[in-house]
Amino acid sequence: MLDMLWLVPLLPLAGSAILMVTRGELSARTVAVIGAGSVGLSAVAALLVASGFLASDGDTVRSGIATWIASDRLVLRFGLHLDALSLVMILVITLVGFLIHLYSTAYMAGDEGFSRFFAYMNLFTAAMLVLVLADNLLLLYLGWEGVGLCSYLLIGFWYKDPANGYAARKAFVVTRAGDTAMLIGLLLLATSLGTLEIAELLERAESSWAVGSGIATAAAALLLAGAVGKSAQLPLQTWLPDAMAGPTPVSALIHAATMVTAGVYLIARTHTLFSLAPDVQLAVAVIGALTLLGAAFAALAQRDIKRILAYSTMSQIGYMFLALGVGAWSAAIFHFMTHAFFKALLFLAAGALILALHHEQDIFRMGGLRRRLPAVFWTFLIGAAALASVPLVTSGFYSKEQILAGAWAFDRGGALLGLAGLVAAFVTSVYIFRAVFIVFFGPQAGHGDAADVALVDGRGESTRGGRIALLLPLVALAMLSIVGGFVDAPASAFSDFMSTALPRAETAENETAAVMLEITAAIVSLAGIVVAYRLFFPHGGRVKAPAVRERAPWPAALDRLWASGWGFDRAYDALFVKPFVAIAAALRGDPVDDAYSGVAAGLRAAWRGAAESQTGELRWYAAGMLAGLVIVLAVALLL
Amino acid sequence: MTFTSAHLVALLPIVVLGGAAIVVLLLAAFSPSRRVTTGATAIALAATLATLPIAARVIPLDVSPLIRIDGAALLYTGLLVACTLGVLGLSTAYLKGLGESVGELCILLVTAALGAAVLSASSHFASLFLGIELVSVSLFALLAYARDEKPNLEASLKYVILSGVSSAFLLFGIALVYTELGTLEFARIAELVPLESASSVYIAGGLGFVIAGIAFKMSLVPFHLWTPDVYQGAPAPITAFLATVSKGAVFVVLLRYFMLADAYAYRPLIVALSLLAGASMLLGNVLALLQNNVKRILAYSSIAHIGYLLVAFIAGGAVAIESASYYLAAYLASSIGAFGVVAILSSGVEGETQTLREYRGLYWRRPWLAAVFSLMLLSLAGIPLTMGFVAKFYVVAASIDASLWVLLALVIVGSGIGLFYYLRVLVTLYLEPDDVTPDGARAAAAPSGHVVLAVASVAVIWLGIFPAQLIDVVRALAFTNG
Amino acid sequence: MLANYLPILIFVIVAAGLGVVLLGIGFVLGRGQKDQEKLSAYECGFEAFEDTRNRFDVRYYLVAILFILFDLELAFFVPWAVSLDAVGLFGIGAMGVFLALLVVGFIYEWKKGALEWD
Repeated sequence: MLDMLWLVPLLPLAGSAILMVTRGELSARTVAVIGAGSVGLSAVAALLVASGFLASDGDTVRSGIATWIASDRLVLRFGLHLDALSLVMILVITLVGFLIHLYSTAYMAGDEGFSRFFAYMNLFTAAMLVLVLADNLLLLYLGWEGVGLCSYLLIGFWYKDPANGYAARKAFVVTRAGDTAMLIGLLLLATSLGTLEIAELLERAESSWAVGSGIATAAAALLLAGAVGKSAQLPLQTWLPDAMAGPTPVSALIHAATMVTAGVYLIARTHTLFSLAPDVQLAVAVIGALTLLGAAFAALAQRDIKRILAYSTMSQIGYMFLALGVGAWSAAIFHFMTHAFFKALLFLAAGALILALHHEQDIFRMGGLRRRLPAVFWTFLIGAAALASVPLVTSGFYSKEQILAGAWAFDRGGALLGLAGLVAAFVTSVYIFRAVFIVFFGPQAGHGDAADVALVDGRGESTRGGRIALLLPLVALAMLSIVGGFVDAPASAFSDFMSTALPRAETAENETAAVMLEITAAIVSLAGIVVAYRLFFPHGGRVKAPAVRERAPWPAALDRLWASGWGFDRAYDALFVKPFVAIAAALRGDPVDDAYSGVAAGLRAAWRGAAESQTGELRWYAAGMLAGLVIVLAVALLL
Repeated sequence: MTFTSAHLVALLPIVVLGGAAIVVLLLAAFSPSRRVTTGATAIALAATLATLPIAARVIPLDVSPLIRIDGAALLYTGLLVACTLGVLGLSTAYLKGLGESVGELCILLVTAALGAAVLSASSHFASLFLGIELVSVSLFALLAYARDEKPNLEASLKYVILSGVSSAFLLFGIALVYTELGTLEFARIAELVPLESASSVYIAGGLGFVIAGIAFKMSLVPFHLWTPDVYQGAPAPITAFLATVSKGAVFVVLLRYFMLADAYAYRPLIVALSLLAGASMLLGNVLALLQNNVKRILAYSSIAHIGYLLVAFIAGGAVAIESASYYLAAYLASSIGAFGVVAILSSGVEGETQTLREYRGLYWRRPWLAAVFSLMLLSLAGIPLTMGFVAKFYVVAASIDASLWVLLALVIVGSGIGLFYYLRVLVTLYLEPDDVTPDGARAAAAPSGHVVLAVASVAVIWLGIFPAQLIDVVRALAFTNG
Repeated sequence: MLANYLPILIFVIVAAGLGVVLLGIGFVLGRGQKDQEKLSAYECGFEAFEDTRNRFDVRYYLVAILFILFDLELAFFVPWAVSLDAVGLFGIGAMGVFLALLVVGFIYEWKKGALEWD
């Protein structure tokens, strides 16, 4: 069973290769079969691997097929590494990925880039699987850059609109800043420890580096920079909201469920390094806390449903970082899993809305869709509940509660971090139910022609196959969002399983304190929903003027600040983009070339001057000879 | 002195040339057929070349104090007479287009070749002056050969007057040297100078005047100003002669003087020549930079090339003779080829084919000529697989050998600038042709000119790839002067 | 040895000095009453009837040059004739060659029609 591990990344890669080589000449049906099927088979393979892994004694599985780099000091293989951590990752990637691929076959139907879309998506899946399965950091980096590339390609998928291209470039460049730091970190590790094999590397680091030593801090900080970029955390978070320019399934798969959590995975995978650098680990927690708070408030002020979800993603990954930072390793991965379920669900449901409303994304131009799109409503509601961590019945509750518990137990400012988590949990409830109430309740706003909203394919025809392809993933993810939490609650099966790969978090020693925390979190979550209801529920079906309806219940200045994501874009524009553009503009004329063209200009001037001497006048020529004679005589006589 | 048969044998090349001048003079007087006259001249020049191996049997030999026949003399005589033969080949076609008689040209070419041969073998200031004047006076008439062409007259007049000035320099310099030493023999000067004060005003000034006079003939900066005007105005084949035989002969005699009179020991002279060489390399190349007249470009190029040649010469020693000789051969072959193309294209063309515009797209009209021209330009630029490359390599090697760093830097800078204008002309040849199309129809009937080009091309390529064949000859001959 | 050239220097000084002195005396002692007649060009006692810078036939030059050529021949003959004893047979031969060359030149100019006026 475990031998099939190689098939897991290889199948989507093969699918991608086929779709790329055929360059869109296959029929849409074949493309759909290859595109979704390859990921589906990969998911089957992952499940078989999982069963094999669970059946064995849980030891790490390593398999390499070929030597990649063999230099004197560094030997790297194309090797895979399977342990509890990567198993969870590949299961989520392949399963959620398959559902999103399936959904995409309907969502993207009729798009002229249908085949191209699946080629990119499959390539992304393959790269992501390589990332999480890699047994050395360089192969991981290959996957890391691979997903970055696919992210770029997919954000700018509808490349005919320059804004999409801009968003794609922004995502690429911003993450690139982190990637560069990460590459430096890799080189630092390779040169100082002499290996990039993750297991080996961590062992050597542990044995040769003291806790808090400078080199460990530097290495961990550099890796953290890479993780921050990929996972859209402060201060490299600005690309994520713009990344919503891509098709919604892309947002669901890449910018919610999988790729953006690569940073979480990286930190979890190299947790030993971070344990050796407690300051950096604290920084992870602080970054996570700041991001989750900031992004949650930013989500409050968004009008675009996808941007709400984007900020929400940022915020939730902030939770994961917080968990990593406080050493609640398994909680982070647990939250990664549940988040993948409910955030993918939210995105896909939002996608269904957008599709039904002919690509309308402004929540204030929606409304009353509860009755028109019941299936979408209920699934979105389940996703929202999970995000708001409604107690007991949602997976989000269990994973978030673990993180909060971990934060409270943390000995360096744990109370503050936990408080941040609680506040953010409250805000989360408010912003997601703001969206729910505005979109699904009240009178129908605008879109008279959307009265007959139907799940249609791209040709404007409702097909049964398309309907199933859209709805099945929604339902499946909704169920996962509910039951996903029970793998670790009440019995801690998941944590036990994860403890084979990650150190177990110190649990709160005080049983009653833990219970108190759970109750507090539940109250906070529900309070948020109530507040959202008070503030945003369209009462009594009275149609309010849009201006009144859209007015935020907090100061307008604050609203603008939040809507702009705390003004980071403007700040970065002033700090980096403008100076860079100014430098580029200054260099546009190639000042270095001026040295060369200066030589040319100098020679041209010399020619012009010298040519003046060619007057054609005989006496001048004779004078020249005389001058020459004087020079020669002077030299001959005076030397 | 006694005059033995060995002396006669050694003098054979000069005797044959002198006799040829008489014969051609009589032919020109009696035979109206251009074919007979040119044929006889060509045979005479070829016969001169044929006598060289015969004369080589008795060298080295002093024939009177004026002439010293040695290996170097025979080598340079051979090179210069061969160039004259080439010019003759180019001229016949050119003159046919011009409608001028050919007899006088043959006479003048032979007398000029005689002057060149005398210079090649000169070991005395008197023969030096005689040789220079033989070449120059012949050139006065040759430059104005097409009497109805105003540019010809202007070129000739400028050359006559300035040449007179330079001859005055030369004579006065010789007189000053004689004042101090009482001898005009190169070898005697070498013996006497160390005895006298080396800083004697008469010797220093005299040699300065001599250098100035010779620098004019070799058109070194700042004695170069006449060069582009005269090159431009003269008939193209005569320009070729001016650039090759006239310059080469004067350079050869300078080399002989320095070797025989041991003037290398006299530093100020070397410094003065270094100055002239450096200025020539720099200014010659700069002047050619944006020039639009091909003949003027080649004129400036020749100024720069004599500068390079002088660097090899200044380096001194065995390598210097070897490299200077090879460089001279390369320069002669490339220049004959380059001016030859101009001459053939100018045959029968009113005002000649001179401007760069007229060369635009030459490849599409006259591929063979364009190819030869390209080859010659590449050789002049010093691109590998041509003689020019090996020659420049030699110059660089010689200057490194002698630690002439400043001159070496100027050689490199000059070559860099040179590359620009050579390639500029080269590119023009392959551009799309436009409306300015030179009339090449009549020029096509010039088999002798094409033969010259073919020989020059083969030499440039063959000796560029297998330079040892020429170098061996140079080594065998150039050092037999003991 | 430079002293050998002293007579030449003296000769140069005397020649130049004589010219300067004679002109100077005339300039200093002359009465200097300048009128129209005195300032006009003096031409053998009658008034100039033509500009002096008029063109005349280039053949005058040709004839003059050819004349000088053969005239100079004499300049060689005189010292040769004087030193005939010293140069001997070789000298006679050499002069023979020289004369032969001149003859060839003469034939050439004759055939070319340089001696015919029209």
